[in-house]
Amino acid sequence: MPYELRPHTADVAVAATGRTLSAVFEATADGLAAASCDELVDSGEQLDITVSAESLEALLFEYLDELIYVRDVELVLPVDHEVSIAERAGGWELEGRARGIPLDEIDAREVKAVTYADMRIEETAAGWEAYVVFDV
Amino acid sequence: MTTYDANGVTLEQVREYVWEIPQDGEMRVPARVLASESLLDEISDDKTLEQLRNTTHLPGITDYAICMPDGHQGYGFPVGGVGAMDAENGCISPGAVGYDINCGVRMMTTNLTYDDVQGHERELVDSLFANVPSGLGGGGIVEAGIDTIDEILARGVDWALEHDYAVEDDLRHCEDEGVREEADPAAVSQKAKDRGKNQIGSLGSGNHFLEVQRVTDVFDDEVGAAFGLTEDQIVVLIHCGSRGLGHQTCNDYLRKIEQHHQGLLNQLPDKELAAAPAGSQLAEEYYAAMNAAINFAWVNRQLIMHRSREVFERVFDRSWQDMEMELLYDVAHNIAKKETHTIGAAAHSADVASGADPRADETERELYVHRKGATRAFPAGHPEVPAAYRDVGQPVIIPGSMGAGSYVLRGGEASMDLTFGSTAHGAGRLMSRTQAKDEYWGGDVQEELEADHQIYVKAQSGATVAEEAPGVYKDVDEVVRVSDALGIGDKVARTFPVCNIKG
Repeated sequence: MPYELRPHTADVAVAATGRTLSAVFEATADGLAAASCDELVDSGEQLDITVSAESLEALLFEYLDELIYVRDVELVLPVDHEVSIAERAGGWELEGRARGIPLDEIDAREVKAVTYADMRIEETAAGWEAYVVFDV
Repeated sequence: MTTYDANGVTLEQVREYVWEIPQDGEMRVPARVLASESLLDEISDDKTLEQLRNTTHLPGITDYAICMPDGHQGYGFPVGGVGAMDAENGCISPGAVGYDINCGVRMMTTNLTYDDVQGHERELVDSLFANVPSGLGGGGIVEAGIDTIDEILARGVDWALEHDYAVEDDLRHCEDEGVREEADPAAVSQKAKDRGKNQIGSLGSGNHFLEVQRVTDVFDDEVGAAFGLTEDQIVVLIHCGSRGLGHQTCNDYLRKIEQHHQGLLNQLPDKELAAAPAGSQLAEEYYAAMNAAINFAWVNRQLIMHRSREVFERVFDRSWQDMEMELLYDVAHNIAKKETHTIGAAAHSADVASGADPRADETERELYVHRKGATRAFPAGHPEVPAAYRDVGQPVIIPGSMGAGSYVLRGGEASMDLTFGSTAHGAGRLMSRTQAKDEYWGGDVQEELEADHQIYVKAQSGATVAEEAPGVYKDVDEVVRVSDALGIGDKVARTFPVCNIKG
């Protein structure tokens, strides 16, 4: 599994790895879905997500924040994430796709927000690693 | 001097239940932990103390950063943290308020006794669960457009009064009469409003709940009478906040502050502590947005209380007025507020024994008092305590876990000197959610509570029940004992769950 849910006193943390930058973003987002729901189903329509930010950390924050926003507004849990990330003048841009499972079809719990607490996104010898704490 | 060593942090005991991390390095003030040794063992078990020490780096922090007896690790600022920043030369920090702006608790009293409810628990829990939206995507009691959201953000419970979801007395028993005048709906983003509009009047999930409880003990008859509490009485406790609207508001401003006040951010040990300097445009905007989210949360709890009155009417076939279902009080425990405090008092109250004049260099200052997982606890006589309670002190409601009691306290005489008028907010978590799910199974927890304690629990998610199992929380009795012994929040009454619904 490219992500793990890590213990945190009141909240939930996701530790993710990926061979590429896109893969580690996808794994972190899949970790957010896993923190919200234990058993996913196969239904749901495709969602498109676009975010941009001035740094990689900020991009990860904006991306996960957008997924939580989409969940509350569209009433779907975004899963099966795919992203492509490009560096642009003055920052980074992410174009993402996901499948949105209607909330009334699953037993999902609320993750309130993404936080910057202890957030890491780093390139390693094996690829990329990310660590994100979510407020539950 | 008695000291306590915790993972490289040494705390010095100032007096019983008061521990201090002396000012050192980049710390602008010392930090204090208010706890017994057994609570300190739990507090020092995670990153709480490191986070507490980090908060002393915030500009304009006054006297001390303080950790309440129920403190635990949060993000940036610890949960159970109180930090008072100068409103002229200091800062305001969204992370020090928390994502769930005005997460809080209200208690409604009734004239029903436990006898009246016994035999109706199943019907009551089912009906509350069916009628009070909870969980993820469960909608809200009110479906609203953006115009309605703006009105709620600007007017708070006054909006609910106009639309017959509240009566005048509800406003009189809520902090600030249920409306923060400094709120500005324009400071709240469209995204936040979009999230809020289908969640007006909803519990959410996590540790939020609605509980029917019975009063098991009244420790202080005089104050209990002033609060309308008697033994064996049924009360209703509602714990929730500003939902997605508040969470989005916090994140919107964290990002704006990160982009506009990078210089200040670079001086701080944790990005989550991002703060806007007092007087800056973002400080003003965040304060206006946070106050709007406070109004939203008050309306949220008001709508849930209103719906609970209707459920009781159906179950007991009597009008809610006849059952005297009245709001006792509503307290916020994630909030920053401009308040005037006498600074220097906290420092000197500990030194009285040394013979120094304890009031020698005190001054009155306007402060942004940040309470994150801490409850305001103003004592008797304070002008900001509602008239109904000014003679006895502000009611403080401390929810426990669903298998333990909750408490009603009153603001204590020592709170202004020790904690900027604050006390604890709950039991405080002990065990992570991931570990809780390994150790408990929701169905077992539910069955055990019903069989052994006659507590009827109904939840959208079995996992939530496991994550909120009574064993994952600290001992609320010990938290309250320390609050009472310190005189920051005095014990008035204890309650025990009868029915509990959650997300």
